[in-house]
Amino acid sequence: MAYKVKLDIFEGPLDLLVYLIERAEMNIYDIQVAVITDQYLEYLDEMCYQDLAPAADFMVMAATLIDIKSRMLLPRRATDDPEALTEDPRSELVDKILEYKKYKQAAELLEQQAETAGLVFTKAQEELADFEQEQEYLLRLKIDPLMMAFKAFLDRQRRRAEVQRRYSKMEDYRMTVRSRIHQLKNMLTGRRRVRFIELFVSRPDRYQVVLTFLSVLEMIRRKGIKVRQDVNFGEMTLTPTKALAGMQFDAESEFFNDEAG
Amino acid sequence: MMKRAEIKAALETLLFVWGEPLAAGDAGQVFDLSETETRELFLELKKEYDEAGRGIRIREIAGAFQYCTDPRNAEYVSRLCQPVKEQRLSQGALEVLAIIAYRQPVTRVEIESIRGIRCDRTIESLSRKQLIAEVGRGSGIGRPILYGTTRTFLEYLGLRDLSELPPLAETEDLLEPYAESYAEVGEAENLKNHFDNPSQE
Repeated sequence: MAYKVKLDIFEGPLDLLVYLIERAEMNIYDIQVAVITDQYLEYLDEMCYQDLAPAADFMVMAATLIDIKSRMLLPRRATDDPEALTEDPRSELVDKILEYKKYKQAAELLEQQAETAGLVFTKAQEELADFEQEQEYLLRLKIDPLMMAFKAFLDRQRRRAEVQRRYSKMEDYRMTVRSRIHQLKNMLTGRRRVRFIELFVSRPDRYQVVLTFLSVLEMIRRKGIKVRQDVNFGEMTLTPTKALAGMQFDAESEFFNDEAG
Repeated sequence: MMKRAEIKAALETLLFVWGEPLAAGDAGQVFDLSETETRELFLELKKEYDEAGRGIRIREIAGAFQYCTDPRNAEYVSRLCQPVKEQRLSQGALEVLAIIAYRQPVTRVEIESIRGIRCDRTIESLSRKQLIAEVGRGSGIGRPILYGTTRTFLEYLGLRDLSELPPLAETEDLLEPYAESYAEVGEAENLKNHFDNPSQE
């Protein structure tokens, strides 16, 4: 059975049910509950298998389906009373499904409507401040709210300045993987063994460590170096291979985005 | 006493300056005219713009009037600049919005009952986007919040008022996909009747 590629695209248990019933080309007023229930449960299994953790409502629907299925297996109660109505155990569910379908379609209509509306542009209100005569408004302020507002403003400015200071510092250090690899290549060619820690000039920040590590991984992958680690979390020793000197690291690889991430 | 043409010209100026939807009543106050008279003038203007086939039109939206562009020119706008595309609503959000739009006022529990899945986060998100709002409280236990759509909702869809919402499908239309599984036409009705009025068998 072919599953929809992404199982989390169902908007809920009713959405899934509608899909299953239509796919099976079943008559909505004569749903084969056993078949649908099996298919539904299979989908739930697949969701769990793919670590999608179906919402509790999916489970409630599963229980409902199983309940209906079992009630369908029971013989309809035979009574002598000609007035007695035996209710089809599926009727409530069918009503729910049709109701849901109604609004699912309505949602599509709204989406189309919104798309059409999106093709229409309007303009913003003109800047009317010059024309407004509410200057007295300012004089009616009390001193406290004004002080608080000003203090909040100063705080915001201070925080913003701090963030900007740190931000501009980060910009300077953003080396790319590609350049780091070139650096390492120069550092390692011709040497016998280098410890990972020796790859850094000064105490590195997290970005530099990650960057270097990714570069090392890429070089290992390309067989430019070999790395050895004897103990968990222990020292890593890098040994350049003979091929390293002649290697070009300009080829496209998934590591060659502009940042180390 | 201003001439009709002069007032209409003035209304055009007001529409331009205001940008946002302008209620006929508010515009009328500028000229000491009633809402009805002003509305009539606006509608005349609207007709003139439509008949002239201009790229700028007047639309009636959320009960007010507003300058807007002809959607047929949207392609040229994108060639001129990159208009900011509003983020589209998710399928789930649209479903919740549809339920509220067509059944308002409606409670969260009723919405969840129709969708078969929890909706509180979607409701919150739609609220934040100002597409829905609290319109009252139900009379049942716990006095649950009732939700309805807003003016922003109408503007989002380009509607004059709720009556312009596209009509909901009838049950017969919903049964369309199942048509092939019926042996003969009319069996759908029979089955439905059988279903609605189950009898001893």
